[in-house]
Amino acid sequence: MSNITIGQFFPGNSVIHRMDPRMKLVLTFIYIILIFVCKNFFALGVMVLSLIVVILLSKIPMKIIFKSVKPIMIIIAFTAVLNIFYIDDGDILFQWAFLKVTTTGVYTAIFMIVRITALVIASSMLTYTTSPTLITDGIERLLSPLKFMKNSVHTIAMMMTIALRFIPTLVDEFEKITNAQKARGADLETGTLVERAKALIPVLVPLFITSFRRAYELAFAMECRCYHGAEGRTRMKIMKYTKLDAVAALFIFIVGGGVIALNIFFEHLI
Amino acid sequence: MSILKTDNLTYKYGVGTPFEVTALDSVNLDIEEGELVAVIGHTGSGKSTLIQHFNGLLKPTSGKVYVDGQDIWESKASLKAARFKVGLCFQYPEYQLFEETAFKDIAFGPKNMGLSDAEVKERVLKAAEYTGVTSEMLEKSPFDLSGGEKRRVAIAGVMAMEPKILILDEPTSGLDPKGRDQILHLIRNYKNETGSTVMIVSHSMEDVARYATKVLVINKSQVVSYDTPPMTFSKAEELSGYGLDVPEITKVFLELKKRGLPVRTDVYTLEFGMNELKKLREEGFKL
Repeated sequence: MSNITIGQFFPGNSVIHRMDPRMKLVLTFIYIILIFVCKNFFALGVMVLSLIVVILLSKIPMKIIFKSVKPIMIIIAFTAVLNIFYIDDGDILFQWAFLKVTTTGVYTAIFMIVRITALVIASSMLTYTTSPTLITDGIERLLSPLKFMKNSVHTIAMMMTIALRFIPTLVDEFEKITNAQKARGADLETGTLVERAKALIPVLVPLFITSFRRAYELAFAMECRCYHGAEGRTRMKIMKYTKLDAVAALFIFIVGGGVIALNIFFEHLI
Repeated sequence: MSILKTDNLTYKYGVGTPFEVTALDSVNLDIEEGELVAVIGHTGSGKSTLIQHFNGLLKPTSGKVYVDGQDIWESKASLKAARFKVGLCFQYPEYQLFEETAFKDIAFGPKNMGLSDAEVKERVLKAAEYTGVTSEMLEKSPFDLSGGEKRRVAIAGVMAMEPKILILDEPTSGLDPKGRDQILHLIRNYKNETGSTVMIVSHSMEDVARYATKVLVINKSQVVSYDTPPMTFSKAEELSGYGLDVPEITKVFLELKKRGLPVRTDVYTLEFGMNELKKLREEGFKL
């Protein structure tokens, strides 16, 4: 469980860390759209380069960046394999019974691998450099124009904040209980799938009970501090756009322009 | 005979991340059979990390752990053996209860050991007796018991495995004085009757002074002292340097010494202290 790094925050003081969370959210969103707009390797290359620039600026170790890709390795591999065998135009490289591998197939597979990897890394860059509270605050502020449903925007943002806030706590709790049951000789690692699922009962029952207790205590603590939703609520930290955000927006704008130009310029994948 | 030994045990958390922390730094320990060891140390000194090495929940970054003379990481079998030889009871163990009845919950450990039903039953009843869990409580859902009762059921769950070494991480935290005394008494009784080695992580110096035969002091990931309670508490200044306290009665005697009375400074229990004062009076000092 401790290997999960998606959605984890790595504190720092780089330019990426200091950006306004609203701008980061919007730009990440635009970046992801741009990844799907890419039609050829040249455009995708620009996207990868710009991502590398962002990673270097954020000063987050490469090892951790790659860790975020690990959990979806299987999905990436699966997509690649599907693409290799399903696409049958282009020159034939290899043929065996009904399986046919063509150049276009291989190119598309590589294209997909790069695309998905960039997608995952880009979205993890957002969570690596922005604390969960700032992300939800940013989402709340971005959605605030929806005045007619303002209260529910706040409620949803609060629910997300709480949910995100408790992921590490739950992971911690899960590990603690797992250790306690392992100390009593529980075997969680071996056996068939059914046996292993059954072996989780001694962990999940206490985990659920603790979660309910925690939820109850949290609600109590919030009420004690007079929490009553969005109405008349002001913020301690007011978000401000700075020059940094303008530069970042310009950067993505140029990258986007480049991608569209390259898309038009080169018609084929490679 | 040495029952538990560590050889240059080092452990690091989060190797390769910006959060890398050395939690244990070349720990060398040698614990004799039959001792009641109290582990003391400031919060974050590495106590919990250390005890999780003894039954192989954590794998040392470097160094070795020997239980009963056997390197526990030598093979899968030796690791499994260590799990059953070393019973580890975590802090707030009542949060690990999950079965329908207290009886079934205590039986969880012995069952995992692959014992027969009759043997499991015998062990559960014995552990329940040690911990003062009544037959009425055994039939109840563990979630219907009081805090102190839950705690005792959870401890019984580890005792029922009849480990050679029983380790308890702050078994008395969050209990009232009566509950605390109960737990400590039952732990001592268990130790005296079974002759097993017991290790308790504690923050209460009074408890340590009253129950322990040896005190293990940990400071900043290192073992700084492993000695008897009087020897440990006679180094009061050193202890306060580690952010630790000495029992109140030791403080009184240190103050008396400071004011010029010829008293011993390794006094650590009330009875001992009273005898010292009596002696002093017989020697003609006015108190």
